[in-house]
Amino acid sequence: MGDDYATRVEDLRARRKKNLAMGGAEKVAKQHERGKLTVRERIDLFFDPGTFVELGLLAQNRDGSDTAPADGVVTGHGDVDGRQVWVIAYDFTVMAGSMGAVGEQFKAARVRELALRYRKPIVWLLDSAGARIQEASGSTFAGTGWLFAEQVYMSGVIPQVAAMLGPCAAGTAYIPGLADFVPMVKGTSSMALGGARLVKAATGEDVSDHDMGGSQVHCYESGVGDNEVESDADCIATVRRFLSYLPSSNTEAPPHTETGDPADRLVEGLDKIVPANPRAAYDVRKVIKAIFDHESWFEVKPTWAKNIVVGFARVAGHATGVVANQPMQKGGALDSDAADKAARFIRMCDAFNVPLVYLMDVPGFMVGSQVEKDGIIRHGAKMLYATSEATVPKVTIVMRKAYGAGYYVMCGKGYEPDTIVAWPFAEISVMGPEGAVNIIFNKQVESSDNPEATRAQLIETIRSQINPYLAAGWAMIDDVIDPAETRRVIVKTIEQSRDKKIDRPWRKHGNIPV
Amino acid sequence: MTEVKAELVGNVWKIKTEPGAQVAEEDELLILESMKMEIPVTAPRAGTVKEVRVKEGEVVKEGQVLVVLE
Repeated sequence: MGDDYATRVEDLRARRKKNLAMGGAEKVAKQHERGKLTVRERIDLFFDPGTFVELGLLAQNRDGSDTAPADGVVTGHGDVDGRQVWVIAYDFTVMAGSMGAVGEQFKAARVRELALRYRKPIVWLLDSAGARIQEASGSTFAGTGWLFAEQVYMSGVIPQVAAMLGPCAAGTAYIPGLADFVPMVKGTSSMALGGARLVKAATGEDVSDHDMGGSQVHCYESGVGDNEVESDADCIATVRRFLSYLPSSNTEAPPHTETGDPADRLVEGLDKIVPANPRAAYDVRKVIKAIFDHESWFEVKPTWAKNIVVGFARVAGHATGVVANQPMQKGGALDSDAADKAARFIRMCDAFNVPLVYLMDVPGFMVGSQVEKDGIIRHGAKMLYATSEATVPKVTIVMRKAYGAGYYVMCGKGYEPDTIVAWPFAEISVMGPEGAVNIIFNKQVESSDNPEATRAQLIETIRSQINPYLAAGWAMIDDVIDPAETRRVIVKTIEQSRDKKIDRPWRKHGNIPV
Repeated sequence: MTEVKAELVGNVWKIKTEPGAQVAEEDELLILESMKMEIPVTAPRAGTVKEVRVKEGEVVKEGQVLVVLE
């Protein structure tokens, strides 16, 4: 190499070009054959055009060889809808995206450091075989593990997204485990604490990575994945959409987006969605779509614990987190998974200053021997905890049923709603009339000459006491409203409570049941 | 063959199909009663009803097979 200026610059260009080519043409073609985009195509799709700034392009394998362009991970920042976001994106074309010493200890660590320093969201685009075993095996493992501790320090400070675009094996699976949002591409993504080959060695079980940890497991059964998406492009669009509802950090308000949907619009068509018969089911997502700004509903975890519906929506442009019972699934009764799903979502909204809207139609928590074995008391307690703890604006709409602890966890009067209103056919009660008669009047029914008639009469007496005007008459709820007025109530509450401030006694932290 | 199972414990309130019936996906097969709610159980796919394994008024457990489709 000559030492003149032009030669040095030419050498730099050549080094950049080599690393921008990732694992080479053959590996790139293979990546495409698998139905996946390359890491650089993903980054181009993710950031607003021309905004990506790369750090560490010239990184290489720890041994100094040129076998791992950029050490298999692309890092830097760019804009998403004009706001800065940091990225750590694994390159499967380079040593199967394995996590090397340079990539992890310097590149990924640099992104975590700067994202937290600037209080900006961090996004992992995961497509990685896991730790690069040839560098990591042996007891120098003792010096690793900062990553997860740092993720915990970032939790609730900056939004964290783990986008699953390929495998994510072994300990690395704790990246999504600790993230706020985990979309998974159907067919190509998977995550498991032990990959297939490790599982075979450790336990003898023969199972593929896909069967063990694909989206069909995590978005439907385990609840570790949030939203199953069809392709890399869908996944990236989903991450951008998720970020659009959140502030850059916990010190900011979520962005306000003009939607053109009037704040005082009356909600039409609810009478055709919600049956007057309180025992009949309906799809609460139709209610959400009718109330909130057009096209603004973004459901989270739509395919797991479907008896509760959670997600983001805008109302007059304000981002809100919606928690709604789903009568169409298990009658809307709450169980352990539903409570876990809601509690996690409520805490995310509270951490990032997103107001909460509770749409209540809940027959209560499931009862019986099965749910007790599941530990419903400690799981249900998470939802009580999350709703009590939340200090963001809270709006409670009692649509129909509001029974027992279901009324509490859906932000009943005792849980500091900024507004709590009921629709005219709301049923708020500790339990249904049949259950109440069985417990309170058991002796009276048994000793009656005509037990059935006595029982029926007592049920009717109790039923007549279950109506929203009794609660409104005691001013325990703020109002009974025409369902068409629901949108106005939500908008007014968010605006009235903008300066809400709640101070609780100092503590190190609470002890949430887990 | 597809087994349609109860997703929660409850009473069989109304049976709305019978062996031999042709059903489309999402057709109501029966209605359970649980937690003060009528809970429709629908066909997960189109097919012919091979068996109805429960009677009206019967209490079923979570996971119990209600109807078999083929």
